[in-house]
Amino acid sequence: MTLRAAIVGAGGLGGPIALSLGAAGIELAIADHDVVELSNLHRQIQFTADDIGRPKAARLADVVASRGGTAHGVAARWTEASADEIAGDADVVIDASDDPLTKFAVADWAVRSARCYVIAAALRYGGNVMIGAPGAACYRCLFEEPAEAPSCADAGVLGPVVGAIGGAAAAFALALAHGDRANAGAILVFDDLRRSGDPRIVRFAPRADCPACARAPASPLAAPRRVAETS
Amino acid sequence: MPSIRVPTALRSFTGGASDVEVAASTVRDALAELDRRHPGIAAKLLDNGAVKPFIRIFVGPDDIGGLSGLETKLADRDEVAIVPAIAGGGDA
Repeated sequence: MTLRAAIVGAGGLGGPIALSLGAAGIELAIADHDVVELSNLHRQIQFTADDIGRPKAARLADVVASRGGTAHGVAARWTEASADEIAGDADVVIDASDDPLTKFAVADWAVRSARCYVIAAALRYGGNVMIGAPGAACYRCLFEEPAEAPSCADAGVLGPVVGAIGGAAAAFALALAHGDRANAGAILVFDDLRRSGDPRIVRFAPRADCPACARAPASPLAAPRRVAETS
Repeated sequence: MPSIRVPTALRSFTGGASDVEVAASTVRDALAELDRRHPGIAAKLLDNGAVKPFIRIFVGPDDIGGLSGLETKLADRDEVAIVPAIAGGGDA
């Protein structure tokens, strides 16, 4: 059985996520509206100088394919209109974007569509990886609404940090794709990778008034396309 | 004495310190003491006296939202962790 994943963002986090999941035999849809720039190369090591000016999504899909994986790029932002094209057949969705609105939109769509998902973020020397699955506490249960969340554009990120956080996100996405939901409803906080690679794992409960959870299907077992068959 | 784990995004306020010990008996008092010693940091965490929606505060493994909020009592060795939503994806 072929498992599928959608990766939202083909940058610093999306690169290691796509390379690892592609090498693990997961079929990928990779979405990113942007093109490769010279300033990306120190932390987006999936690209080379020859890629400058080329669409990130298609180029990353090519790199995955060159290593024996299966991937296609979608040159689009994640929106309500593009979500189904990007992730409609995905068993797991991974947000690797640089934008708080997109992170909430991906999580909300996943909850509403009863999909497993991972929300990854890296900043300066650390990052967060949130793991979600139908029926578990969601990203909006934890962080109620997007606002003022610092981004790489504000505070920067150390190149190797995105590799580490992306690797962790890929590991949990792979587990979810294979039906392992043991960490659903938890966030891993990598505080400072210069000091320690051990994350603080924080589990949190569903929030009673969470508007995203209120739109989830009544039976969380109903919708996951094929994950339910393997769990 | 309880300690506060400061996220990297806010360590510019603490001179780079990751952990700050505070003499406090509640989370609210702890944040007030943190702000007294590192002025301006509380404004990044609180809005009109309430925790901002994209910030979560834990005492040990427990979200204070499931305890007594900012009035959650602190014991001598409790660790208060501040977990902000962050958006960085390495420019994706």
